[in-house]
Amino acid sequence: MSAPPGEGYGQFPGPDQGQQAHPDQPQYGEQQPGSPHDVAAHGKKKKRGYAAGAFDVGSGANAAVGGQLQGANQFGIPPPQQVAPQYGYPSNEPQQPAAQGYQYPGQGYGAPQQQQQQQQQPAYGYQAPEPGYQAPGVQAAGVPGAPGAPGVAGLTQGMGNMQIGAGQPQQQPQGQAPRAAMNQLYPTDLINQPFNATELDLPPPPINLPPNSSVTPSPDSNCPPRYMRSTLNAVPTTHSVLKKSKLPFALIIQPYGTLHDDEDNVPVIQDQVISRCRRCRTYINPYVTFLDHGHRWRCNMCNLSNDVPQAFDWDAASQQSVDRWQRAELNHSVVEFVAPQEYMVRPPQPLVYLFLFDVSYSSVANGLLATSARTILDSLNRIPNADRRTRLGFLGVDTSLHYFSIPKDSDENAETSQLVVSDLDEPFLPVPHDLLVPLSESRQSIEKFLQKLPEMFQNNQTNGSCMGSALRSGHKLISALGGKIVVLTSSLPTIGEGKLEHRDDKKVLGTSKESALLQTSNSFYKSFAVECSKNQVSVDMFLFSSQYQDVASLSNLPRYTGGQTWFYPGWHASRPEDALKFASEFSDFLSSEIGLEAVLRVRGTTGLRMNAFYGNFFNRSSDLCAFPAFPRDQCYVVEVAIDENLSKNYICLQAAVLHTTCNGERRIRVMTLALPTTTTMSDIYASADQVAITTYFTHKAVERALGNGLDAARDAIQSKITELLQVFKKELGGGSMGGGIQFPANMRALPILFLGLMKHVGLRKSSQIPTDIRSASLCLLSTLPAPLLMRYIYPRLYSLHDMPDNAGTPDEETGQIVLPPALNLSSEKLVSYGLYLIDDGQNQFLWIGRDTVPQLLADVFGVQDRKEVAVGKSRVPELDGDFNERVRAVVQKSRDHRALGVGSVIVPHLYIVKEDGEPGLKLWAQTLLVEDRADQSVSAGQWLGMLREKVNY
Amino acid sequence: MSGEAWLFLLAVLVNAVNLFLQVFFTIMYSDLEWYATSITSSPRLGSARLPGPGLPCRALVDYTNPIDLCKNLNKYIIPEAAVHGFLTFLFLINGYWVPLILNLPLLGWNANKIINNTHFLDATEIFRKLNVHKKESFFKLGFHLVMFFFYLYSMIVALIRDESS
Repeated sequence: MSAPPGEGYGQFPGPDQGQQAHPDQPQYGEQQPGSPHDVAAHGKKKKRGYAAGAFDVGSGANAAVGGQLQGANQFGIPPPQQVAPQYGYPSNEPQQPAAQGYQYPGQGYGAPQQQQQQQQQPAYGYQAPEPGYQAPGVQAAGVPGAPGAPGVAGLTQGMGNMQIGAGQPQQQPQGQAPRAAMNQLYPTDLINQPFNATELDLPPPPINLPPNSSVTPSPDSNCPPRYMRSTLNAVPTTHSVLKKSKLPFALIIQPYGTLHDDEDNVPVIQDQVISRCRRCRTYINPYVTFLDHGHRWRCNMCNLSNDVPQAFDWDAASQQSVDRWQRAELNHSVVEFVAPQEYMVRPPQPLVYLFLFDVSYSSVANGLLATSARTILDSLNRIPNADRRTRLGFLGVDTSLHYFSIPKDSDENAETSQLVVSDLDEPFLPVPHDLLVPLSESRQSIEKFLQKLPEMFQNNQTNGSCMGSALRSGHKLISALGGKIVVLTSSLPTIGEGKLEHRDDKKVLGTSKESALLQTSNSFYKSFAVECSKNQVSVDMFLFSSQYQDVASLSNLPRYTGGQTWFYPGWHASRPEDALKFASEFSDFLSSEIGLEAVLRVRGTTGLRMNAFYGNFFNRSSDLCAFPAFPRDQCYVVEVAIDENLSKNYICLQAAVLHTTCNGERRIRVMTLALPTTTTMSDIYASADQVAITTYFTHKAVERALGNGLDAARDAIQSKITELLQVFKKELGGGSMGGGIQFPANMRALPILFLGLMKHVGLRKSSQIPTDIRSASLCLLSTLPAPLLMRYIYPRLYSLHDMPDNAGTPDEETGQIVLPPALNLSSEKLVSYGLYLIDDGQNQFLWIGRDTVPQLLADVFGVQDRKEVAVGKSRVPELDGDFNERVRAVVQKSRDHRALGVGSVIVPHLYIVKEDGEPGLKLWAQTLLVEDRADQSVSAGQWLGMLREKVNY
Repeated sequence: MSGEAWLFLLAVLVNAVNLFLQVFFTIMYSDLEWYATSITSSPRLGSARLPGPGLPCRALVDYTNPIDLCKNLNKYIIPEAAVHGFLTFLFLINGYWVPLILNLPLLGWNANKIINNTHFLDATEIFRKLNVHKKESFFKLGFHLVMFFFYLYSMIVALIRDESS
């Protein structure tokens, strides 16, 4: 039997071997947000409804509700300011249906009793919307086939939530299921009703699938936006409609939401029964249909019918048959399969970290060597080593290579020895063994070595670095196994292979020649990256130089090997904030449970083709992305093309990441997203996800900036938003007259986000931004997960001096710190006696107005005179006062990644800025106020005015 | 046979070599693309050519791998441009203005790419630029095909002139 490849290594689902206990079952109830326990908390009726659906297998499902629920849980528990209506939208136009209509998550947790009462026969699987979604006035008896049912539910989009899960047999062919009600389109005027910063926290428009799309009634059957979100939550059926709409169709994929597995509840399927379509290799998922009394299943991508493997209904551990409908892969859209032998090219590789320390004078002087050695020493326990196979290696680099041969702990007389190789043209390994040692076996020697390392080089006066040659040697050292090379350097590689020149020139900044500086100057950094990718070696760059370091060239290695570039400009260990930031980030980085030798592939319903991929990886073939190491804090963008007309009324997209976990298990993480199709332009616009669209265009802009220059990238962004506004006006604006610009409520933030992107430090037109800073920020723009990216483009502004009483204190229900309402980024919002927090996820600024009252400063900073407040990198001192505590809580909460549903190691710097203080710092903070006019860019008002002119004439 | 006939005979041969190279390029590009689409969009082909589970999986991954493809094709890029440049040079010193002018655009194109150091294929970007490369390859193919008949015609004209004189 032959079988197409899965993630490249795929085979047909193997016989179940190596049977293990099936832990899904006990976990099932506890893990899932929508599981009976959870639901029961909201009301007993709800539980009954769910239970009826869950156990009456043949009856209907309510897939859309699954999507809804996920939406609400996207960022963990929604912070109360989203819920509280008074912050939700500008209060001056409460009559706007649009503003209200878009508030699906808002409006509190109204109990859905009303709908419950309308359920005549709960046993047949009628389901009310999940609690948390208000659908007032919607008739549960609404005809499912009426798209957009006008008149009913005139005011809310809760309409879409009302799927009637009639008890149809699941054998019904998908093609004939009635269409779901679509999201309503609410055009708003961008100029009269300005966008409000709090809207960015709203979940994307709901995915309204036809009833009974999924084979089980599980609320988790559709992929939450946290893992995978589409720019369009209603997909056009033909390429021409998509082209006409000018909107992109792309997926934003972030396979991991946390740095560690135990924080992320993804069901793991241990029994190695992996059922896949014979033809298109799709993994079995909640959207397949069962035929022949459940003996066969029909693939939801290519419609081929496949045999259900025998072991599918059999639990080999307990030797009894199990209920198929309880299997996690039919109930959950995000699952992880433990893969059998067929998915391995070689035995799973161990986790390997090779550290390349810069030991030259500059690194010793700024304390990098000592700090990094200390951090590794302190983090040895955090490095994943569950299978005791993790290996570490160390290599010192100045103008020659310093190898360290570390003996095993059992070998008592042996000492760690240093071996210096100065032949850079043909670097060789001085000894064949002990250069890469297992952490468990040499733990004490490693500790001793790391303690000694800073002393060994404290008098090193050598300047210069042969990092290129060191990388080549490091690659040689670990290429047989694969693994991660971690580069910690504060020098520009000046000798040996891959040497770089000091090509930074202040005169070309801000001109068209600047773009050349953003490109690689030495082809070594591309060819070597390809070589690394081939041998499963991933490179991470930690760069610390206070001078030009050519981040543009160095960042190519992480870019093509699934790594990341971390840039710490002007870092010095003597500043506690600097040392603390790096130590904390580096330690989290080492503790992160990365995947190894991973490949990502995305499959779609017949007619869809994955067209382009963006992110840090190497395209091994046009639809296969290869990651020597799979990080947990990055996201990827996949552009989808519609090649053939889509006949079904919903389509599926499935992303699968085949990887080796850091404790030596081969696993496949599968995410399945189902989206309804539509033929009308208004549905497409009403279901467009502005956050995903911005993420997509950010990746496009970065690619264009690197290829064609910054001007081209900015022009492309501007012409795109103009095009979108024009299309909307022409196709859907209808009778809107006057000088405004119409745009749907769910995409209202788009023009301002695009403005923020054009004014971002990575793309802004300016002659003041050093190339290294630009390159580093372009790296971040193309890797940050969507929630963090939104902050990076459009930072958060919180007003602290007048925050509501509950802000900065734990919420009564959730225990999460309540944040004050976010403000628009305009200096009009700043009063001179105020205290503000500006947070872009990488840096935080605590802005002190020029007329702040002494009492406020005394409460927050514990000083009597405003002169005593030190500006610059700092912290908020810990005082006893209530207000100080709340300010600290807000600052802390604002940098909480977990609440955003993403994993990240970044710990932002906190800068204290006085309005009348140091002008440089103040200017920097002001550049984050993207709605202001600055240097060479326009204000939000001018921007909208410009767009209005372009659209209307 | 006169010098003119010899020159055009050489041109025909050189041109034939370039023609074949472009055919080779086009086939390789299509191969790279076809592999991907065969697996995703037209799965029938995909399953047909896959070996069973016993074979090493590495073989499954790298059918036409972009790294080797680029390495392979990059070998031919400079020779191709050089041979074409040499031919153009011969036309220049022998004073055949019409073929010289016809060849100048391609010469300029190649020279420009080499000066900007963009003539080599880059494995990291090959998939994003595949369409551009294919288009370029097609244009060159067409150009060489036209030139082939032009040289052939010129050679025959030269031979006939030899005979008659």
